[in-house]
This record gives sequence, structure tokens and C-alpha cells, in this order.
Amino acid sequence: MGLKRSLPHGSPRLGERVLESARAVILGKDRELRLALACLLARGHLLIEDLPGVGKTTLAHLLARLLGLDYARIQFTSDLLPADVIGVSVYDRAAESFRFHPGPVFSQLLLADEINRATPKAQSALLEAMEERQVTVEGETRPLPEPFFVIATQNPLFQVGTFPLPESQLDRFLMRIRLGYPTAEQEKALLTGEDRRTMLARQQPALTLEELTRLQQQVAEVHAAPAIIEYLHAILQFTRGSERFLHGLSPRAGLAILRAAKAWALLAERDYVIPEDIQAVLPVCVAHRLVASEHGGRLDEQAVAAAILDHVAIV
Amino acid sequence: MPKRTTPSIERPERTQVLWLTLLLLAAYVPLAPHLAWQISAFVALLFALRIAAIRWPALIPGAWGLVVLTLIGVANALSTYEGWSGQSAGAALFVSMLVLKLMELRRKEDLRLATTLIGFLAVVQFLFDQSPWLAVYLGAVAVAGLALLVDLNGGLGDTPGRAAMGIAVRVSVQAIPLTLVLFLLFPRLSAPLWHLGTDPRKGTTGISDTLEPGAISELVLNGELAFRVRFETPPPDANQLYWRGPVLWQTDGRRWSAGAEAMAAGPAGALQDASRPIRYELTLEPTDQRWLFALDRPVSVPEGAFLTPDHRLLARHPISTPRRYRMLSALRYRTALPDRAGREAGLQIPDNVTHRMRRLAEDWRSQADNDWDLVELGLRFFNREAFHYTLLAPRLGPNPADEFLFETRRGFCEHYASSFAILMRLAGIPSRVVLGYLGGEPNPVGGYHMVWQSDAHAWVEVLIEDRGWVRVDPTAAVDPSRVDNGSASRMLGSGASVRFTLEQNDAIARLARNLRLLADSLDAAWQDWVLGFSMEDQLSLLKWLRLGGAREYGLAALLLVAFSLTLSIVLLVSLRDRPRVDPLEAEYARLCRRLARVGLERRPNEGPWNYGSRVRAQRPDLAPTVDRFLRLYVPARYGRGCDPEIHRALMSLVRGFRPGVDKGARPDC
Repeated sequence: MGLKRSLPHGSPRLGERVLESARAVILGKDRELRLALACLLARGHLLIEDLPGVGKTTLAHLLARLLGLDYARIQFTSDLLPADVIGVSVYDRAAESFRFHPGPVFSQLLLADEINRATPKAQSALLEAMEERQVTVEGETRPLPEPFFVIATQNPLFQVGTFPLPESQLDRFLMRIRLGYPTAEQEKALLTGEDRRTMLARQQPALTLEELTRLQQQVAEVHAAPAIIEYLHAILQFTRGSERFLHGLSPRAGLAILRAAKAWALLAERDYVIPEDIQAVLPVCVAHRLVASEHGGRLDEQAVAAAILDHVAIV
Repeated sequence: MPKRTTPSIERPERTQVLWLTLLLLAAYVPLAPHLAWQISAFVALLFALRIAAIRWPALIPGAWGLVVLTLIGVANALSTYEGWSGQSAGAALFVSMLVLKLMELRRKEDLRLATTLIGFLAVVQFLFDQSPWLAVYLGAVAVAGLALLVDLNGGLGDTPGRAAMGIAVRVSVQAIPLTLVLFLLFPRLSAPLWHLGTDPRKGTTGISDTLEPGAISELVLNGELAFRVRFETPPPDANQLYWRGPVLWQTDGRRWSAGAEAMAAGPAGALQDASRPIRYELTLEPTDQRWLFALDRPVSVPEGAFLTPDHRLLARHPISTPRRYRMLSALRYRTALPDRAGREAGLQIPDNVTHRMRRLAEDWRSQADNDWDLVELGLRFFNREAFHYTLLAPRLGPNPADEFLFETRRGFCEHYASSFAILMRLAGIPSRVVLGYLGGEPNPVGGYHMVWQSDAHAWVEVLIEDRGWVRVDPTAAVDPSRVDNGSASRMLGSGASVRFTLEQNDAIARLARNLRLLADSLDAAWQDWVLGFSMEDQLSLLKWLRLGGAREYGLAALLLVAFSLTLSIVLLVSLRDRPRVDPLEAEYARLCRRLARVGLERRPNEGPWNYGSRVRAQRPDLAPTVDRFLRLYVPARYGRGCDPEIHRALMSLVRGFRPGVDKGARPDC
């Protein structure tokens, strides 16, 4: 492409390195992998919405291994209690005091599987932790580890016994992506290839914690020119004035899009955002935040891209 | 700014509806006095309904309600004016329909239409009134309407009201050159547009062609302007400013009228020994009469007019628009002696002459050596006896001359003139009454004299054997100060309009007077330069440009040339006005245009890099240049800062970039 301008520390190569390793395990999902990585680099939480068995868990696990993060998984069920997520204080006879047993939320990367199966009470315990990056148990505030990522998955079908997340909660996720079925070729490669589980177990971290922190910092430093801000603002304005949506995008959504676009730019080894970055991340950043005024309110990425991007001009 | 395309909800905002309503109200107010009260009542009703409906939208009538309201509006206008011919009836019908539109502001489209129609409403008003104040006021209304149109088209950021107003003012200022071109060169109709209406002019005030007791004293209370005079030679003294109008020969003892002799058209007798010439230009307000006023006595005859044997200046058509004409008059003159018929007409005596009037005349005849002596005797009579000059003359019976001469002895100029003329006839001296104006108020601001309706006057002309017709003013004999003061009504006290009762040394009065003079000279300038700009002026402009021979064709050609010249100047200036456009952006836009010419148009939502890829895929031959361009452009545009080197490089890249049409290109792009 030749468009790239090298960055100070040569660090973008790091992102490429992570993706390189990831591609070996998850076949043919380059864009999704890139988006997931961008989401984490932008310090955002990721929601994966897809059918069981397309590799959601593998993706989450893989990211944890590649980034060298400690990893916990909660399977959300309808009888899950907030304490199962956050942790619980247990009386320690030897010490003659209550001792806090931290729950799975106290890990750097948390996979919340089938989040929409749990009751709203359990959901909100997690979602509050995501927003605040700390939990308060029995009057004591405990910070969550740094970095802290949540990758949640949910089943797209409306099934009996699910509690769909309200829009206000969905807003906490920077992106919502889908994985989808692999292509015929990739599926055959997957079927004939090595067991993914052993591959994951063998996977070495591609980044140190310091390198990850530095990348996150660099995302914040990516430059967004006035023209980009103008373009993004036009997009926000459009969603607010359009009849296709029940309501427009919030300022928080605008910030999310910009953050994701910066991470996307960094992964493309640029230290500035171009309109294509916005266009690349926009569908996954806004599809779960907007409610269509038709088609039962649900929007998929393509519909969003068509509804918004086709109508806002780049100057 | 990304200017897109919000297919926004077409429902008008509440402020826009309010804006439109107030605008319509503002545009209607000056028209209201010209229309019947029934129309204003209907308009007021709908305004009230509209304003109330802003608060309670349920008040807007439905389709049937609207039909009923429309029928009421039409019936109201038609019954008030008994039909729809004539400008008042047309305007009334138009206004009624326009306010009905207020009930139907469902979409922005409706507001746009209504705003445009308000512009039409503004234009219609010039059929009724062409004053500069109205023009300024309606101009402001039009600018506000423009602002509403701007606002209706949206995209104005956080302060739409102010931004819209700013744009409207800017657009209006930009339109000035074109307006001037159109004003100067657009072919004029020989009669102004505002006289196309078939309305009879209502209530034009001024001197009429008959004289009855009280006719002039009514006029004196009128504050309107009769005409303006710009002297080219030094103006004569105020007591010489007799503006001659209709000449009355015939009397029935109460009423004076023109008489048969006056109607006989014939060559005007030339003046003999005319001296003291006065040159001036007179702008006469519309009178709907044929006579033109001129300083006693007119020597020249303006175009479109002629001089009668008794030296009245008559236009060929009634004066329905302000008429400007240059005149030459002689203050000293001797008229030719009339023939027998003229003499007899000047001796016609009414039937109701009383015995004592006859005796008075005979008395004078016996005392006087000659005719002129007798005239002077008569004047002395008015001076010596207790005659009062007053506007508040008592009402007179069937024989006003007798009553006035011997009983009431209180009167205004018409009493003096008519009774003096009768007395002269009784004494055997042919006489006639002349109507006109006396004096004139100098306007130092405008450098001209204003003659008001209140300066109306009547005097007498008597025939003296060796001198011809001589002007005699019996009113002056009573109280010379009346003539010396210049303005006939100044000394009238309580009866006169307020402006004459102000003390002249009062500072406020002086200020008021100066303001009035200033206002009048503005009005005069408007009259001269704007309303009076006629086809003749256009042709003389052409002549000055040495295009006189071409006439209308020259005008059209000149209009075209000037129009395109002005447009291109405006365009140039406005283009030069936009250096704020990012220079990089400009180069990119140029590149896109060049590519668009070979069928590779950039889609509005296509980022530079995606565009580049598409170009590369479709036209590999163009890829090197486009790549080089984008590699410089994208970081410069979206990265941190840009150095001018890059701009220069981009410029030279684009300049040399002339993509040819690719024969093998797929036709669908």
C-alpha cells in the first residue's frame, strides 16, 4: 500500500504479530480478528453475537493467550447470582475474620458466555463492573485488574428463558461482531487440521503486558484531523435526523467510534485516522446501539452500513 | 462541511410557522389602509386563528373547514368590491387567499410557497403607494422572507436564526449590482405599471375647475404637496409666485365655472413685451385634471401640452402620474387684446346682482377717470372698509357676493376674488377669476420650493384697454402680509393645520421643520431618480453611450452584456472570497474532477484510499499518478500538519494529470 508511515517505536508491527499468530488458529476471519484486537486496544469490551460453535470461545481464549492475559470464563445461566461473578466473603476461622474470595471478574480477560441467559440482576453486576472497572463488595471498593477486558457472547435467536440486554447495557460494549460460518475451503482446512484446543494450549503470548499497555497508549495518541471529526459529526447528526432510527447515536457512541477508528488506524500502521477507518469500524460500533424504526428494531451490520454510510458524504 | 442530504422530516418547525405568520402580518400592514375594512377583518380573523393554533394545533380546520373558510374569504372579497376587476379587488382576493394558506402549513413545501407569495404581496403594494419609505420597509420584509427560505432549507448549525438572517442579508447585498443593471436597462413601459389598474383614482385632492365659497378654505387645511419647483434662474419674490391654473369666466352669482369662451380652442395670443424671464422645472403631483400649473405667465409650452387663448396650460391627458416639465415664464408681460366675444364673456353678469352692488359699481365709475383708476378704487374699498380675512367665514346664503360685501365682510380669497370680479363687470370692466397657488416654501435641503395644497389661491384678472389682461389680487388689498408671508395659511391661527402654528424659534419646532424638509427632499429625489426614470431617460442613456440609433435593440443588447458582466464580476469576487477552502482539499477535488471526466467519478461517501483502489482496479494505467498523489495527500490531509512542499507537489501532479478515455474501459463506471 505504501501509505504507511512508520511509528516511533516500530510498535505497530506488534499488532501485526498478534494477528499473524491468530490467523493460524482461526481461519479466514481476518477482519473479525482485526476488529476484536482493535476493540481491546481501544480498551473496549467486545460482544460477539453468533450461533454456538462458530468459534466465539476459541476467539476469546486465543486473544487471552496471545496477549498473555489471565483468563476466566463464566457460563451465564438463569440461576447465576451476582456473587458468582464478583466473588464472596467467607468467614475464615483461622484468621477469625471474613476473607474475600474474588470471583471470575477479577481476571484480565473475562469471557461471559451466553450473557443473555442470566437474569438482569446478574447481568447488571457484570456490566457495572465493566463500566466502573472496579467492584464494591460489602462496602469495600476493589479495583479490577489492569487491563480488564470482557468478551461477552450471546445467542442471536430469541429463545425461551433469555433476557435480552437493554440498549443502555449494550452501549457498554464498544463493538458487537459476528463470526459467521467459514467458507468451504476454510471449513475443510479446519476439519482436516489440528485440534484447536491443543493449538491454543501451545500458543505463546505474542505481546508482553508492557507492549500491550504501550499499544493502548498509542491508540489514544492517533491523530484525528478536523476533516475526520467533521465527517464523524455528520454521521452522528445524520442518525439523529434520520427517520430510519428510533433515536440517534449518543455522544458516547461518537467517542466509541472515534476510539475504535484510532485503534483500527494503528493496526493499519498509521498514526492518523482516515475516513476509511471510520467506515470500517462504524457498522460494528453502532449496529447494537441503534434501533431501526422498521424490521422489528433489529439492525445488522450491512443494514447500518447502507443506512448511514451511503448517505453521509466525505468532503 | 459535509452537506448531506438529510431527507429530514418535512414538517415545519413551530418557530418557522410563527416567523411566516409575522412576516405575512408585516407585509400586510401597509396594504391594509388601501383595502376595505372587511378584508382586514377577514385577515385578522385568520391571523388570530393561526397564532392560537400554534398553541392549540387542534384549531386548524380540516379539509371541509378550509373549504368553508375559502368560500367565506372569496365571498367577502367579491361582495366588498362587487367583482374582481380593479387592483383593489384583485389585491383583496389575493390577500384573502394568501392568509388562507396559513391554515395549510403541513409541510415545509407549503411554507416555501407562502413565503414566495409574500414577495408577491410586497410587489402588489406598489400599485397603491410608491413612496421610498414603503420601498425600504418592504425591502426589509423581503430580506426577512429570504431568511425564512434559507432557514427552511436547513443546515445552519446551532444558531439558525442568526445564520439565516446573515445569509439573507449577504445575498441581498450581492443582488444589488444586478438590481441596478435591471433598473437602468430593463425596457420601461411608457406608463408605469402601477397605473395599469382600472381603479378610478379616489379622492385626489387639489384645485377643481369650479369655485364656490368655501372651496379653497377647505383645501387650505390639506397638508398635501401640490408640486415642487426647482428654479434655474434666481427665484422671484414670494409675492410674485402666482402659479396660474384654471381660468373661470362664467358665474351664476354663487358658483364660478370655466364657461363657453374658455372651451373654444384657438391660438394663444402671444405675449407682448415679455420680460423678466424665469426658468424652472416643475414636478406636479397627480391631479387627474388636465391643467398644468405655471408661473404667471407661461411663455413656453411643454411637450404634450398646449396653451389656450386665455393662457391656461393644458395637458392632452389627465395627469395621473407625477409629471415633470420645464417651463419658461415671464413676470412682466402685456397680453393681446381679446376679440368681441372674449370681451363679452368677461362682462357676463349673474341674475342675482343686487341693487346696492350696482350702485357701488356705478359710484366707482363716476369717481374714476379711467379703468385702472376704477380698479384701484375697488382695491381701496377692500382695504378701507372693515374686511376681515379669515378661514372661518360665516356661511353665506343664495347671494354670497352681496352678503359678503355689505354684511359679513369676513371671507377667504374666494370671497374676495369672486365679489371683486362681479363688481368690475358691473362697472363695465371685463374680468375673470383665476385659480392657482400662491407662494411656495423654499426647501434649502433639496434646493427647491414646495407648493402645498394649503397654498391654494384665487385672484382676478381685469382687462385694461392699453395693457391687456392685468392680474389683480383683491385679497392682497385687505392684508398685504398674507401675500408677503409666502404661505397663504400661515396667519390663519387655530384653523390651520398644526405645522403652521408652531413657533418658529422653538428649537423643537425648528428641528421638526428641518426633518420635514429633509424628508420631503428625500421623497423628491426618489420621485426624480427612481420613479421618474422613464423610457426617455433610458434612451438618453443609450444616446450618451452612443447607442442611440439602436433603441430597444440596443437596450436589450446592453442589458444582456451588463447582466453577464455583473454576474461574472460577482462570481469572480465570490470565488476569490473563498481562500479558506483547504488547499489540499482543492487539489484533491481537482483530481477527482479529472477522473470523473473519464468515467471514474468519486462516490460522495468514498474515502480517498478506497477511491484509489477502485481507480487502480479499473485503470491500471492511471495507478502510478493516483498512487503518488494519494501517498502525499492522505497523510498531509489527515495527519498532523502539512508542509507547503507537499501542496506544491500535489499541484504539479494534478496539473500534469490528463487522463484519456480508456478504450477498453467498462462502460458501467
